[in-house]
Amino acid sequence: MRLAQHPSHQVDYSKSLNFIFNNKRYKGYEGDTLASALLANDALLFTRSFKYGRKRGLIAAGVEEPNALVSLEIGGRYTPNLKATEIMLYDGLSAVSASNPNAFDIRAFIKPLHRFMPAGFYYKTFIKQKVWAKVEDSIRAFSGFSKAPTEEDVDVYDHIFHHAEVVVIGGGAAGISAALEVLNNSKKERVILVDERTQLGGELFNEFSSDEAAMTWHKDSVNRLLSFANEDSERFTLLTQSTAYAWHDQNYIEVLETITTAESLTSSEPQKARKIIHRIRAKEVILATGAHERPMLFEANDLTNIMLSQSVRRYLHEYGVISGKKVVIYGNNDSIYSTARDLHVNDIECIVVDVRSSEDPIEIVAELKHSGVKVLQGYSIVKALGSHRVKGVEIVQTKLQGNDWQVFGDTQTLSCDLLATSGGFNPVVHLDCHNGAKTYFDEVSQSFLPQQERDNREVCGAVAGASAWQDAINDGKNKAQFTLNALGTVSKLTQEILSENYSNYFNVSQFFTPKEILNKPKVFLDLQNDVTTLDVALSIREGYRSIEHIKRYTAMGFGTDQGKTGNINGIAVAAELMGIPMSEVGTTTFRPAYTGVDFGAMAGREIGDFFDPQRYTTIHDSHVASGAEFEVVGQWYRPWYYPKTGENIHQAVYRECLAVRTSLGMMDASTLGKIDVQGSDAREFLSRIYTNAWMKLAPGSCRYGLMCNEKGMIIDDGVSTCINDNHFIMTTTTGGAASVYSALEMWLQTEWSDLDVHLNSVTDQYSTVAVVGPNARKLVKLLCQDVDFERENFKFMQWRPGTVCGVDARIMRISFSGELAYEINVEANYGRYIWDQVAIAGEKWNITPYGTESMHVLRAEKGYIIVGQDTDGSMTPMDVNMSWILAKDKPFSYVGRRSFSISALCAEDRLQLVGLLTKDSSTVLPEGAHVIDNKGKSIGYVTSSYFSPILDRSIAMAQIQGGLAKMDETVLVKIVQKKQGLKEIPCEISSSVFYDIEGEKVDGND
Amino acid sequence: MLLIHCPYCKESRDQSEFSPAGEAFIARPKSPEGISDEEWADYVFYRTNHKGNHWEQWVHSNGCRKYFLVERSTISHQILQVAPFGARNSETEL
Repeated sequence: MRLAQHPSHQVDYSKSLNFIFNNKRYKGYEGDTLASALLANDALLFTRSFKYGRKRGLIAAGVEEPNALVSLEIGGRYTPNLKATEIMLYDGLSAVSASNPNAFDIRAFIKPLHRFMPAGFYYKTFIKQKVWAKVEDSIRAFSGFSKAPTEEDVDVYDHIFHHAEVVVIGGGAAGISAALEVLNNSKKERVILVDERTQLGGELFNEFSSDEAAMTWHKDSVNRLLSFANEDSERFTLLTQSTAYAWHDQNYIEVLETITTAESLTSSEPQKARKIIHRIRAKEVILATGAHERPMLFEANDLTNIMLSQSVRRYLHEYGVISGKKVVIYGNNDSIYSTARDLHVNDIECIVVDVRSSEDPIEIVAELKHSGVKVLQGYSIVKALGSHRVKGVEIVQTKLQGNDWQVFGDTQTLSCDLLATSGGFNPVVHLDCHNGAKTYFDEVSQSFLPQQERDNREVCGAVAGASAWQDAINDGKNKAQFTLNALGTVSKLTQEILSENYSNYFNVSQFFTPKEILNKPKVFLDLQNDVTTLDVALSIREGYRSIEHIKRYTAMGFGTDQGKTGNINGIAVAAELMGIPMSEVGTTTFRPAYTGVDFGAMAGREIGDFFDPQRYTTIHDSHVASGAEFEVVGQWYRPWYYPKTGENIHQAVYRECLAVRTSLGMMDASTLGKIDVQGSDAREFLSRIYTNAWMKLAPGSCRYGLMCNEKGMIIDDGVSTCINDNHFIMTTTTGGAASVYSALEMWLQTEWSDLDVHLNSVTDQYSTVAVVGPNARKLVKLLCQDVDFERENFKFMQWRPGTVCGVDARIMRISFSGELAYEINVEANYGRYIWDQVAIAGEKWNITPYGTESMHVLRAEKGYIIVGQDTDGSMTPMDVNMSWILAKDKPFSYVGRRSFSISALCAEDRLQLVGLLTKDSSTVLPEGAHVIDNKGKSIGYVTSSYFSPILDRSIAMAQIQGGLAKMDETVLVKIVQKKQGLKEIPCEISSSVFYDIEGEKVDGND
Repeated sequence: MLLIHCPYCKESRDQSEFSPAGEAFIARPKSPEGISDEEWADYVFYRTNHKGNHWEQWVHSNGCRKYFLVERSTISHQILQVAPFGARNSETEL
């Protein structure tokens, strides 16, 4: 129901908006939230609860709301589990309940069983009995809230970075006051004010109708802030509808801004960001995050239209909305009387039930009584009546004796259609705790307050324990002065510190937790997760004492609301049941994020093509023209294989491999990492980081090297070329280029700064075309006239400078296939030209471009390892049967050498790399399959496995325990086949060199 | 996400530009072959991992690619000071 217009209302009655909720059409106004607009339409049902499927309505008006979860929009704009209290209404909005309250619900259907389903029910019934796997799908089908999105998000999200001297979090009375004070008393300091709502003011709107001074102060202050934002935007940034959801080390604050305009959400071409993450680095932080009201506890406290007292006030004052005609207001503090006064002024019938006895009569009570409002002091509500919507309450007399609440006398019934409750206030200490602060329990305000002193932060207003709005304003001013002082902006405080003592405005009594109530069923603590007082009692009976364990056993505070309304009551219940003070129970740990953050917002613009860099060689377009399929290796798009029409990968690889072995193939090897090593100690440097000898490698020669880390494990391999005594070019694996480069720099900068060596990554500077096969020499002779290619003059593992098709080149005779091969290195921009010239000249030998898949087969036929495939970071050179590459007589103990003599690295049962031949030559083993011994125990696994066209049989390499001593032995490889199930394949352990064991092919046949 | 001051670039930049590179002042033994397995293991594997102010190595990997020294509190992550390599060789040396 909407009341007559009033200046405190923040809705624009001239702008009517249409929207759809659960397939019904409604009208609201600009300035409404989805929650307030529905409440105004008397649509009270929002959702069903998580476990019992109970129908639930709103209890709050803001971020703390546990029930009103909805799914907003459809298709590419579908967003699950948003709180209706946080969605600003726009024209054409469409939303549905996260869990439809009007549809049949199996959880509600099994209501008689609910009392047999306490905390731990699913675990004890299904998981412990080992039937969970069978029932999980059907149980999950009817639990949970919104469905997960199925379509790609069409919206745009952004990230913005800020630096500021002062960040004020929270735009209520305290935050406004603090921000203004800083701005008024400083000249250069950059200030950011962050508030989660669209309108600055926080809870101040609630005071407008009863205190004109509040309205005047608000109007005046907000106008001054807005003029700072407009006229001095370098200095002051105002972020509204923005939630500070995390506060990290070094005052690094993350803020999620939501932009909900009809335009941004309904436009078919999204241009503007829908949500923005602001990442703020601040020198000083002022927290003015306010407080959340907590409900009172009684039986059936989850019926629809039982709301928080201050939220009822907020709907009334900010939106002109009330969801009842006859209201019972119930609580343990003086704030309930303000609610009663405001309702009474608006001619809404109300009764006040106060658990406190009338020992200290306060003025407002007398006024209310005088004006005809019924006030029952020393009474408590024990039960709410009604099936779904509250229809009345049962009350009894109550008295505090010592520290115990007594409940006595006859039960009376009051009828009502709205119940507003207030059990005190929980300061929003979450952000402060993200950053490592602790809380302490304050007996006066009956709340956990933030640790008082911290560097670079102040707390003010309700989060610091203030309750009156005047106190909050003064507090904001004071704390701003402290902040200015810390910044050194003012040498002394420019004005007198206003009273620091908050008036104990609310007189909150201790938590109302008598046994008579805690022992009743359906006294809900966590409304979203259906956690009751009995669940907490059960967890304590079962031996849990830490509140962290009680939380995890019961799921209290695990929902999307993170227990903002229920947790502190839960702590009070636990304290009561264990008979220890609140301070001893303490709180659970507050962790980021304070509220839900969209994945889209986290990803920002780094999606699709911007998710990861894509690297292409300069030859890429020729590969595409040849119809290559690509695979991504270390961000490079490498040709994988080149299928001809109708070929699959196996047929293409078969053809490519045979072409290389019998005539001529060509490959783009540009992606190999290349590091230019220069300086008078370059040779010494290579000698220290590679396991083999480098001192005698002559200019004009190349050498293969194996690189280990200090633990003795292989990290990379590659060929390095001696250009001259002070200049080498090292190649690394494609994927390892960056980490090897980084490791080499670390040695040079941190250990061997005395070496005259300079490194530079030149991977992108050169293109490499490998010409491979028995006809390779004939081809390079055609393309290059100024190099003597005769086999005795240009030997394997040598290089020559030359001119290839008019382009300066370094030609290296190295081979990763065992065939005669030349790698033509040219300046990168000539890469595609050289590739195309080689392809044309090679036509007479049917030159065949081949990709990484054939490269892998060819190298496996020769038993060459791939670091990272045949090794995994725990393999030594000995493990891969490469002891021959370990120099014995180098004067400097090269990296990793000392570790080789550690006993664990010499053990006989280490995994060792061997060849594996299946008895049935047509069976290709799956890579990763386990090798088992005759007892079925795993003794290793297959690392590489292919079908070799030239050998016309399958080949594999495997890491097997003590494998090198098991030559010719038969082992089994266990594989899973889709239809046949488990199968054991007999194999013979062999040398890992399968083809051309004598190494005769490397010189070619001419 | 820390804000780290690079002593070479002389600018405070976001942590995403840097990579951590382990505890500082772990010197490679001069004669690895001349020490026991335990001493070698101490150099290769064992780190202090202590609570409090801690010297470590960082590299400005997406910047000047220089390694440098950082004294950081492992409790609050506050960075107390940074120094170029060679400016000091132990925690106590000034």
